[in-house]
Amino acid sequence: MSDDSVPLALPFLRFADSSSEVTALYRELRKPLLRYLVCLGLSSDEAQDVVQDSFVSLQHHLAAGGTQDNIRGWLFRVAHNQARNRQTSYHRRFADPLDSEMDFVAGDATPEKAILEKEKFRRLRAAVGLLPESERECLLLRAGGLRYREIGDVLGLATSTVADTVERAIKKLAEKCNV
Amino acid sequence: MCDFQPKLVAWLDNELPENQAAEVERHVQACQQCRAERDRYEQVSKTFDAYCDALISAKTHPNVLRWVPAVSGALLALAATVLLFTLQRPRIDPRPPATPRAAVTVQALAAEPVLSAEPVAPKKIHRRQAILPVQEQVQQPTAKWQPPDTAVQITIPAETMFAPGAIPEGMNFVAELSIGPDGSVERLRLRP
Repeated sequence: MSDDSVPLALPFLRFADSSSEVTALYRELRKPLLRYLVCLGLSSDEAQDVVQDSFVSLQHHLAAGGTQDNIRGWLFRVAHNQARNRQTSYHRRFADPLDSEMDFVAGDATPEKAILEKEKFRRLRAAVGLLPESERECLLLRAGGLRYREIGDVLGLATSTVADTVERAIKKLAEKCNV
Repeated sequence: MCDFQPKLVAWLDNELPENQAAEVERHVQACQQCRAERDRYEQVSKTFDAYCDALISAKTHPNVLRWVPAVSGALLALAATVLLFTLQRPRIDPRPPATPRAAVTVQALAAEPVLSAEPVAPKKIHRRQAILPVQEQVQQPTAKWQPPDTAVQITIPAETMFAPGAIPEGMNFVAELSIGPDGSVERLRLRP
């Protein structure tokens, strides 16, 4: 399945009115959602399941006349809550060693570049592991392309709080990683 | 510390109102310290994005990549083995070996002595002294094709030519067949 294809399992066609809108959203947000969920600590299969469930929920939400304001934030919040329900050991799983996974990253690089990349990721992973949960989640949602207001909707925070949290997290990472 | 530094991340993320963003931009162009901080924040953001991409790639593809070399190697070895085996096998011609017409020798059991296409003219008939079973003839090497002889002897089972009891048992006949240069039968004769 290509990245932007829509799986036939999604029951979009039952709701003709909003199916095209949901399809467009799926193409736009599937990848950022997957990345966010995987970085939260879900496996690839779990993340795929959560993404599909989230879009099915979105379809029901729209079919029931739910609000369409900040639909990206709505989707991320649903996915976030579903991931939380599936995952009870978030801290432990996120802090798992990633050495073997970083070997994959270094696969197509020169040995020198691979070592540097691996070391950079190792330092970053250690620094991310030291961040409070709210800062880590803000960074992940920001990396998923969400605006501060959308991040606030997902996490239940004020936009100004999100701005402060992101700024604080970035500074910490810059200091810890010696960038 | 510069007063603008707390706004740098939001400015990089395009989260500031237009008037504030313009103010920060002007300041960054003039402040070397803020430019250095901006570069650091940009670098951290890029590294974090790359880290997330690497993480999802590692969780999505590692099993496939680990198996690719092993599976590819096994397939290559298999292909090489099959190729080697194929090249070493003797080539078998699917066509049955051609039997030279002149070498066919037959034993016929028949009662009627002669079936001639024209009056008897024994002068050009090549007679085979030894009447051999067909199998032995077929097993002989036939790789080299020989031009057809002018006379051919054929074995025809007597049961297919005569009714049972029409001829005495043990009576043998030799059918002599003369074939012209164009392949047509010129003469046929049954001889006891």
